Amino acid sequence: MRSRILRVLRPGEHADAESEQQVRTDGGTSADGPQHDTSDSDARADGGVTGTAEQPSRTRRWLDSEFVKSLPFWLPATLLVGLFVYGAIGWNFVISLTDWTGLRQPTYDSFDFEMYEVFFRNVGKGGLLSGPHTQEYWALRNTFVLLIVFTVAALVVGLLLAILVDRDIRYENTFRTIYLLPMSLSFVVTAIFWAWMYNPETGMINETLRLVGLGSLTQQWISDPQFKLFAVMFALVWQFSGYAMVVYLAGLRAIPTDQYEAAKVDGASLVKMYWRVIIPQLRASTTSAAVVLMVFALKAFDFLFVLFGTRPGPSADILAMMMYRESFGITNWAYGSAIAMVLFALALGVIAPYLYVQFKRGEL
Amino acid sequence: MTNDTNSSLTRRRYIKAGGAAGATIAIAGCLGGGDGDSDGEETTTASDDGGTTQSDDGGQELEIVHWWTAGGEKDALNALIEGFEQEYPDVDVTNNPAPGGAGSALDTEIQSRIINENPPSTFQIWPGKALNTYLESDVLVDIGDSVWDDGMRDAYLDGVKDMSQSADGEFVAVPLNIHRLNNLFYNVSVLEDAGVDPASLDSPSALLDAMETIDAETDAAPMAHQTQAVWSTLQMWEDVLIGHAGVDTYQDVIAGNVADNETAVRESLQLVADFREYFNEDAGSVAWDEANGKVIQGNAAFIHQGDWAAGQYGAAEDFEYDSDWGNVAFPGTDGVYHVVADSFVMPTSNPSPEATEKWLSYCGSVDGQERFNPVKGSIPPRTDVPNDEFGPFLTAQREDFDTSDAQPPTIAHGTGVTPQVKSNVEAAFSAFVGNWNVDAAYDELTNAF
Repeated sequence: MRSRILRVLRPGEHADAESEQQVRTDGGTSADGPQHDTSDSDARADGGVTGTAEQPSRTRRWLDSEFVKSLPFWLPATLLVGLFVYGAIGWNFVISLTDWTGLRQPTYDSFDFEMYEVFFRNVGKGGLLSGPHTQEYWALRNTFVLLIVFTVAALVVGLLLAILVDRDIRYENTFRTIYLLPMSLSFVVTAIFWAWMYNPETGMINETLRLVGLGSLTQQWISDPQFKLFAVMFALVWQFSGYAMVVYLAGLRAIPTDQYEAAKVDGASLVKMYWRVIIPQLRASTTSAAVVLMVFALKAFDFLFVLFGTRPGPSADILAMMMYRESFGITNWAYGSAIAMVLFALALGVIAPYLYVQFKRGEL
Repeated sequence: MTNDTNSSLTRRRYIKAGGAAGATIAIAGCLGGGDGDSDGEETTTASDDGGTTQSDDGGQELEIVHWWTAGGEKDALNALIEGFEQEYPDVDVTNNPAPGGAGSALDTEIQSRIINENPPSTFQIWPGKALNTYLESDVLVDIGDSVWDDGMRDAYLDGVKDMSQSADGEFVAVPLNIHRLNNLFYNVSVLEDAGVDPASLDSPSALLDAMETIDAETDAAPMAHQTQAVWSTLQMWEDVLIGHAGVDTYQDVIAGNVADNETAVRESLQLVADFREYFNEDAGSVAWDEANGKVIQGNAAFIHQGDWAAGQYGAAEDFEYDSDWGNVAFPGTDGVYHVVADSFVMPTSNPSPEATEKWLSYCGSVDGQERFNPVKGSIPPRTDVPNDEFGPFLTAQREDFDTSDAQPPTIAHGTGVTPQVKSNVEAAFSAFVGNWNVDAAYDELTNAF
């Protein structure tokens, strides 16, 4: 049957097929006939007629290669991440090149960098140093400050906590849980807590200051433009330093005790030991904690939104908030996408040099 | 493939029918089995009508998206839906709230659904210029013939009808309720202690003097206010401007002529900045209802707020209209009814055009507005709704509305300016509530329109 089909398909190789058929008729009687048949048809599928012994092994070699064997492990994840993360970023970039506004589908007929030009022109409008500044300037500045100051502060506090908890103290687990607990709370909850604590009339913070005789230091924490961003960052550090602590703690536990002992034997003081011996070995922990903390810094959106709605004012406005206003408040989708790309570049710009150094050292 | 889809749809429909039957039994069998059958028939006809998407296998299913989820608002909407279901028992109402962010969560949901051409049957929106985004993209259906019949046109005041129309005079929205913005609520006993007569205040400057007296005479904060979110201060400035310079100046300003009215705008901003001295100390850390609570507790004398604030007084114990709290029109704005309204619209690509028309007609009916408004604490835009259901406060508000000389729209609540302008003005005020810098705010306002 098969040979007849083949004969129809490849009339030029008629003779060939016929001879094969003969082979098969011959082999059919022998005990290993079926096996022979299989390899024969394999060879034919490859298109080769001669050299049947080599061809199947090439296929098999390909199938046996590590690349193919590893496919099931990385391909699904790569496809999903490629589509939903990098695909979405790419599409967002494409949208930022259009002029899309309003509630109709975008048209992809002309692409330019107009939205980025508008953004950076507005950032510089009125002079970078003098003012009056536009909302673009404030949002960019505050996002930058938040990314840097919050991340560094949370890392430092987290590292200190980790070192303290690592000193073989009593109730270590309890302390670890206490420090980590704020992170498990929703931003909505913590934002409202902090709004109460910052309340200038009845809040914890001003009450405590008055109690200890520092009444002159009381402030309108979350309404005075001077302190607004600081107050928000303080609350965020409180919430997320616990996370940095856990990451550092894992890093500290990975360092063999010999090194502590060796440092001690060599006469290093406690501070010197940590500064020279231990902390330098925590680079990997720092990188991973920093990346996650930056993501949380961008999530300050939730916190600000609960406190101030979509208008935190110039002193606490961030790019994420502005992106939301532009996109969903006044349907300037292209401009919102451009702001999102600036935000993306900002986050990447902060973390990329560090990742690069780590990569060069072979620590990634 | 097609077969699969069909069979799954059918299955879904069975499940839905089963669920509906269960629900019917659960609510003590108001609807008989016959209703269930007719439901099924209606379903098929409706999907024949406008079956563009898969989801509309229930054409008589009305999906309402709104942001009314807090206490009285939720009860008001439920009362409206209940009345609608009695009037049109063949329509299944799907109540789909999108609460939060003073409507911004709803904007997010509606806009993405409209872009995906999968809009709900109807959604809540401020009428007037707030419709601009939707009108520019041409995604609202002209309901001038199907919903706005002569009876409705006669019953609405002109100012409100204007808000329901596009620039070319097509009716696209049905206003359901009206709140007044230019109220000055006060705690009676605090004002008595201070010896201030609210009825004698005839301008924002007089209010400033009165607040000075209250500050000197009592421990209460003269004015309860919140500056945490921008809108309260923005709406206060609107009414200070009306009270100080008159409603025509205000209309001119929101039409974009800020520079022509420089003195009026600057002076009104200065007045708001002066008011600030008399706000509760924690104005920057509280929400408006917390500020309003201070009036109830007697810790504050005045509050400028929309008449939704009165709902909180009604819910408070031992705090009665006239004896414990009262209200006057914001000083200098007598005869003005500063309108904040909500409306429903009909988006294009509508999954259930017939049911949406029924809903919109019901929102514009005497029965619907009579059920909704007393619970919401607002007045009906129709002037022919009987007064019986409305308490003394709302009845007084209705009288003011019927006799008002002007019903200007608002910036803070979207009816007076386009979303873009509103956003710019809010930007100016978000800085103003921090630095109280009149010059900077004036400069930003001139560029805002």
